[in-house]
Amino acid sequence: MKRLTTAAAVLALCGPAYAADDITVGFAIAKSGWMEAYDTPAATAAKIRIDEINANGGLLGRQINWVESDTKTDRAQAAKAGLQLIDEGADMMVVTCDYDFGAPAALSADAEGMISFFLCAEDVKAGIQGVGPYSFSGSVLAPVQGATMAEWSHAKRNAKTGYVLLDTTIEYNKGICTGFDWMFPRLDGTEIVGRDTFKNDDASIASQISRIKALPEQPDVIMLCSYIPGAASAVRQLRAAGIDSLILNGSSMDGSYWLDATPNLSNFVVPVQGSIYGDDPRPEVEAFNKAYEAKAGARPASSYAYPGYVLMELWAKAVERAGTLDGATVTAELEKMRNEATAFGPRSFTDELHHQNFAEMQIIEISGGTPKAIDSWTISEPVPLEVLLK
Amino acid sequence: MTSLSQLFFDAASLGGIYALAALGIALIFGVMNLVNFAHGEYITFCVFALIVPSTDAAAHLFLGKAPAIVLVPVMLMIGGGLAVLSEALIFRRLRNATPVTMMIASFALGFVLQYALLAAYGGRPKAVSLWPGLNTPVELLGASVPLLQLLVIGVTVAILVILFLLLRHTRLGLEMRAAAENFTMARMLGVKANRVITGAFAISGALAAAVALILVTQTGVADVRMGGPVMLVAFIATVIGGMGSLPGAVAAGFLLGAASVMLQAFLPLDARPFRDAFLYSLVIGCLLLRPQGLFASASAKPRV
Repeated sequence: MKRLTTAAAVLALCGPAYAADDITVGFAIAKSGWMEAYDTPAATAAKIRIDEINANGGLLGRQINWVESDTKTDRAQAAKAGLQLIDEGADMMVVTCDYDFGAPAALSADAEGMISFFLCAEDVKAGIQGVGPYSFSGSVLAPVQGATMAEWSHAKRNAKTGYVLLDTTIEYNKGICTGFDWMFPRLDGTEIVGRDTFKNDDASIASQISRIKALPEQPDVIMLCSYIPGAASAVRQLRAAGIDSLILNGSSMDGSYWLDATPNLSNFVVPVQGSIYGDDPRPEVEAFNKAYEAKAGARPASSYAYPGYVLMELWAKAVERAGTLDGATVTAELEKMRNEATAFGPRSFTDELHHQNFAEMQIIEISGGTPKAIDSWTISEPVPLEVLLK
Repeated sequence: MTSLSQLFFDAASLGGIYALAALGIALIFGVMNLVNFAHGEYITFCVFALIVPSTDAAAHLFLGKAPAIVLVPVMLMIGGGLAVLSEALIFRRLRNATPVTMMIASFALGFVLQYALLAAYGGRPKAVSLWPGLNTPVELLGASVPLLQLLVIGVTVAILVILFLLLRHTRLGLEMRAAAENFTMARMLGVKANRVITGAFAISGALAAAVALILVTQTGVADVRMGGPVMLVAFIATVIGGMGSLPGAVAAGFLLGAASVMLQAFLPLDARPFRDAFLYSLVIGCLLLRPQGLFASASAKPRV
C-alpha cells in the first residue's frame, strides 16, 4: 500500500497526467527571447489544427495533447528542450522556426527515430540534408520565393533588367537570391545588371545605393534578399534616395506592421503562402485567419503562422494512413505525398527532399502603403536539388 | 562609378554616427576608466522611448509624435537621465573596483536593459516613422544625398563644436579634462569626483540619444538588438583613437566609417560579403603599428 502511494505521488509529480492512450506532440520552441515573435504564431496555428483534429474524433481514434519546452532563443537551450520533450513522452516534435535555432532539438528527435517538423524554416538544411531522415519543414523553400518573384515580374511586369541586393547575414537570404539567380537569366531578354551585398545591422547602406544610382539606367526590378529589420531599413533608404524600381522580396517581408518605416510605399511585391489581409482567393485561408483571431485575439501579423497549420495537417494525414506513430513508417507515408491538398495549396515530399521546391504562392503588392493580394503564381518547374544545395 | 563627392557624403554620414557613439564611450572611459558596454543599450532604449510599450506587431508612436523642438530635448534628457541613473545605482558603488569588474557590470546592465525592452515591446522589430521628410534626396556637388545625411554630418559637427566649447570654456569641461589626464591628482586639487563623473555620464547618455535619433530616422525601425553593432564599432574606434582621447575617438569614428564605405565601394563583389573582415584587419594593422592608439592621451599607461 505504502509503495502504491509513493508511486502515485511520483506520478503526480511528473507533471500533467494525460490519459495513457493520448498522442503527445512536443513543441521545442522559443517562448522567450527575440525568436518568440516568430514561433508563437506558427505554434498557435499548429494548435488550431490539433484542436480541429481532436474535435473531429482525434487521430487514430486518440486525442492529441501537447507539451512545450522553452528554447529561450538559445541553441544550447534548444538541445535541452528537445531531450526534455523526449523524456516527457513526445510522439513527434515541432521545433523553432529557424534552422540554426531549431536544429539542436530536431537532431535529438532524429537520433530517437522521431519525426520533427521545423515550424517555418526555409533553408534546405532544415530536413534530410542538415538534420536527418526524419526531419521536415512546414514551409516553402526560400529559392522558390526568389524564383517566383523572377518569373512573375517578368511575365506580369515585363521586367528585363534586375539588380540583386543580398543581405549576407543569414542563409535564408542567400536562398532567395539563389532562386532569383537561377530563374531570372533563363527568361526571355533578361539581364542582371548588377549586384551588391550588405549586412542586416548596417547603420547605413548609402554606398550600396550610390552604386545603383551610378548605373546608366535604373533597373526594372531590385531583388532584395533580406529580412526585417535590415530589409525595412534598406527599403526606406532606397526610396529616400529616389530609387523607384519595383522591389521584389521573400516572404519575410510579409505583414503590414513594418510599413511605417517607409510611409506610402508603392511598387513593392512579396510572395506568400496565403494572404493575411482577408483577400485570399481561397476561402479556407480566410477561415483560418478567423480561427486564429478567435484563439490568439488578433489576426496573424504575417503569413508565417500558416506553415504551423500545414505541417500538423500533413503529419496527421500521414499518421492516419500509416496507422501508427512510428517515425520510419510515418516518414515513408509523408514521402509518398505528391501535391497533397492542404488549406494553403498542394504540398509534396520525396525521399530526397522534405521541403517544398515548388509551390503556389500568392503575390501581395504594396501600393500607397496598403498591401493587397493581386495575383497567384506557381513557378513553371521545381527548383532543382543541385541549385538548392549550391 | 560612384563620384568622389558621393563617396565623401556616404563616408561622412556613416562616420558621423560612429564618431558620436565613440565620443560617448570615450568620455566615460576618460573620467573613470570604465568601458561602458551598456552604451549600445542606451541607444536602443532611446529608440524604444519613441513608441508606446506593447507587444503588438504594429507600433504606435509615443514620444515620437511630439514636434522636433520638444522631442529632441526630451530625448537627450531621457538618454542623459538613463546614463546618470545607471551611474548612481551601479557604477558609483563600483568606483574602487577594478576596471574588469566595472566592465562586467556594464555588460550585465546592458543585458538587463535589453531584456527589459524585450519584455515590454516583444521580440519583433517595430517600424518607426520619424521625420520621413528628411529622406528626400538633394542634389549637391554632383551627388544625390538624402537630406538626412547632410543633417547627420551637420549635427555631428555641431555637437563636436559644442562639446569642444564646453570642454574648453566651462568649469565642468576643465574639470573633466583634468580628470581624464590624472583623476587622483585632479581630486587632490579640488575637483569633485561626483560632479565630474555625473556630468560625463549625462553627456554620454545624451550622445547616445542623438545617435538613436539619427539611426531611427535613417533606418525607420526599432529593434532590441540595434544598439549592439554600433556600440562595437564605436568601442573599436575609441581603442584605435587611443583610450581616453576624445579627439582620437572622434577621428577614429570617422576613419572607421570612411574605411567601411570605401571597402564597400571598391572591393570586388566576391570579397564584399567579407567587408568587415577587411575592416577589422585594418584595425589590427593599425594597432600593431600604434598599440597606444592613434591619438593616445599623455596619461595612457604602457601596455604589456
